[in-house]
Amino acid sequence: MIRLTVNGTVHELEVPAYRTLLDCLRYDLGLTGSKEGCGVGVCGACTVLLDGKMISSCIALAAFADGRSVTTVEGLAQDERLHPVQQAFVDAGGFQCGICTPGQVVSAKALLDANPNPTEAEIKEWMVGNLCRCTGYYKIVESIRSAAQRSRA
Amino acid sequence: MAHRIVGQPIGKLEGIGKVSGQARYSGDVTLPGLVWGKALRSPLPHARIVRIDTSRARALPGVLAFLTAQDLPDILVGRRMFDMPMLARDRVRFVGEKVAVVAAADPDIAEEALALIDVEYEDLSAVFDPVDAIKAGAPVLHENPAAYEGAPAERPHPNVQSVLRFKLGDVEAGFGQADRIFEHTFRTQLDHQGYLEPHAGVVAIDDDGRIQVWASNKMPFRLKELLSHALKRPPEQIRVNLTPIGGDFGGKGSLMDLPLAYHLARVTGRPVKMLMRYAEELMAGNPRHPSVITMRTGVTRDGRIIARLVKALFNSGAYAAFKPAPSVNLGGTAMGAGVYRIPNLLIEAFCVYSNNIPCGHARSPGEPQMVFAGESHMDMIARELGMDPADLRRKNLLRDGDHLANGHHLEHVRASDTLEAALKASHYAEPKPGPWIGRGMAMTHRHIGVGFTNARVRLETSGAVTLSIALPDTGTGAHLVLRQVVAEVLGVTLDEVEIEVANTDDFETDSGVGGSRVTHTGGRAAYHAAEKLKQQIESEASKHGIPAGALAEIARAAAKDGRTLEASHFYDAKAHADVTSFTAQVAEVAIDPATGQVTVRHFTTAHDVGTIINPIGHQGQIEGGLIQGLGFALIEEMKTEDGRISTLSLGDFKLPTIQDIPPLTTVILQGQVGPGPFNAKAIGEGSISAVAPAIANAVADACGVRILDLPITAEKVYFALREKVAR
Repeated sequence: MIRLTVNGTVHELEVPAYRTLLDCLRYDLGLTGSKEGCGVGVCGACTVLLDGKMISSCIALAAFADGRSVTTVEGLAQDERLHPVQQAFVDAGGFQCGICTPGQVVSAKALLDANPNPTEAEIKEWMVGNLCRCTGYYKIVESIRSAAQRSRA
Repeated sequence: MAHRIVGQPIGKLEGIGKVSGQARYSGDVTLPGLVWGKALRSPLPHARIVRIDTSRARALPGVLAFLTAQDLPDILVGRRMFDMPMLARDRVRFVGEKVAVVAAADPDIAEEALALIDVEYEDLSAVFDPVDAIKAGAPVLHENPAAYEGAPAERPHPNVQSVLRFKLGDVEAGFGQADRIFEHTFRTQLDHQGYLEPHAGVVAIDDDGRIQVWASNKMPFRLKELLSHALKRPPEQIRVNLTPIGGDFGGKGSLMDLPLAYHLARVTGRPVKMLMRYAEELMAGNPRHPSVITMRTGVTRDGRIIARLVKALFNSGAYAAFKPAPSVNLGGTAMGAGVYRIPNLLIEAFCVYSNNIPCGHARSPGEPQMVFAGESHMDMIARELGMDPADLRRKNLLRDGDHLANGHHLEHVRASDTLEAALKASHYAEPKPGPWIGRGMAMTHRHIGVGFTNARVRLETSGAVTLSIALPDTGTGAHLVLRQVVAEVLGVTLDEVEIEVANTDDFETDSGVGGSRVTHTGGRAAYHAAEKLKQQIESEASKHGIPAGALAEIARAAAKDGRTLEASHFYDAKAHADVTSFTAQVAEVAIDPATGQVTVRHFTTAHDVGTIINPIGHQGQIEGGLIQGLGFALIEEMKTEDGRISTLSLGDFKLPTIQDIPPLTTVILQGQVGPGPFNAKAIGEGSISAVAPAIANAVADACGVRILDLPITAEKVYFALREKVAR
């Protein structure tokens, strides 16, 4: 039995010892926003926040998150209102197919939480673990800069 | 002409579900009683299957079904040429070929069951290189390929899948008139499309016996036909339900695991989900064909191209099944002529069987390979002739009235304008800022795709407009573009147009997504449907004496008479319009002489386009394609050792990251001629193909080293530099 707080809701559930956090979120809790891309922790599509820190949930065991707090993409919007990062990705075209986007916006939120006014180099340093095949990244950089500006405004 | 909504930089409103995690992709689909299918794959490139022992796997608690080829009808699958078994029967022909499949209630149990299957193989001699594969005495992969449904007739060697030829004039006579003849051979690598969503599918047989499919497939109607063929079930028994697709780039058009998911659903009586792991994508997806391309060009003393012979060998792997074109080859080979008028031309492309991963279509299929060869070759010729590479190109560019080798007639040719714009914006002619820095150019062009689309537009009694369409969202922003078109025609706001994603029951047919066609075919279908609806609205308004802008009132008046205001249009473009889209690119690179590392200091991309419907989406296509091209040029390579892919994860098979993107200048040459709605052209495949030769030419300019095989890694440049110094 593990106890996970996911997006503020407490879940107590029994999972096999080998269950990854990603599969637990997707299949045991039905939160399919986090995606499996590479499955080996390099593409970032499965990025979630564990006690506020970014992790690749595809290579973390669910049991590892026992007693801790998980934030997924589904937890970013408040009362149907998109988080400023999410809104910036929509407005600036920071995604196309959208499969990497949950991981991108979770990572970008963590960046702005840690550094509300990042330089372009800092954005690129922080986001290097989130692959995107559609956009060529230019509009992801633009989205994050614009989200930072909005948050300051 | 000024537009209200067309041309506006509207953000990706179609993707609010994508940023919030609510968008449901095929891998996210779940159904009551859903079970998981997993495939066991061959560890050998060519072998006879002696025996499959499933007793240990069957004993595992939780395993619900188990299938080998013996349990399936003897049907071969494919997209155009049907040569691939759903599960290997007696023989495997590549590492990664499926030999058995299991279903279990839990994905981890299914994986565990695979490890308990014992297969005894007997090695057969194998062939991996396409040049070796068509030598006399090479191991033969398929005993009688001519007997396969859809197989082309011409087969100079049993390992040839298909031959594609393009011809203009008399190439031998042309070489006879040439003052100089140059010949170079290039190689390009095996490369995955790199979409981050591995193939996913769910198949359920519903209470009425209908087959319900959710799949990462961009051509739902073709999928229905192909499944009908593979499953021997009437097409009306199959419904493909559209989901967003997590990246396509040409790779999401085949059946992949769907026939097996169906058979598992049939034997278990449960819905079945099959997801490929990324390692499976890399060993058994349908990646871009590697190539060996020889270009032989005859020129006059003053640099006019008078003849060209191109011979391309595409290493197609063990099956032809993933190629969708009737030629069972790559239409992009026509780009062997580049953007040039060549009076005497012969291009011959051979797709060749070998014991490697079967290849398929990838963004601009065949063109990045051909354009790398052709545009590198142009610079090499210019150097030999002592000409500026820009001048050699200027002398030979296509002009109005020219015919391409594939018969496509061109007007409104802006090759020259596009080249000059790229040269100017990149400061190509200005002195370079230092040593070990070089500039290189390359050009290409891409057709505006053809195909057919159904659209339906309905005026709701709320006054809103619903556009119904069965084109899946692959991420290109097409759904937003189509809403913009409808809103423009009907004079309503964008918010008043909603999109309803239909399924294969709702329409007769649709050619689906691909080949730079959607803005054209989907856009025109939506445009004409909206025009028809507008006429209905106007006549309804005048009948009731209501102002034509009072849409809700008009719809309600019609509803009172028992009618819905709704219009459909089927748009079918069979032949290419007399236009194409040119691209000219300039790379500026720096070489680290100590390591050979190539850094792209700046990149300029110029595009000859039509009316831009959504500038954000349009630029997104340019940028995304360009960075794919950059990956193809410098980074990406699926390495193989005796047919075994050794780069089996995205940690080993590297894609460009956010730190790899160069400073970028985009130049848009907007024109007013295009077959799409409001004179739009296409952009999805325009930016990828010239990137690698622009970089290769810049590397040569920077350090005098010519890399003939992709990708241009630091190692290759380093050793070439050492060799140059030794000489």
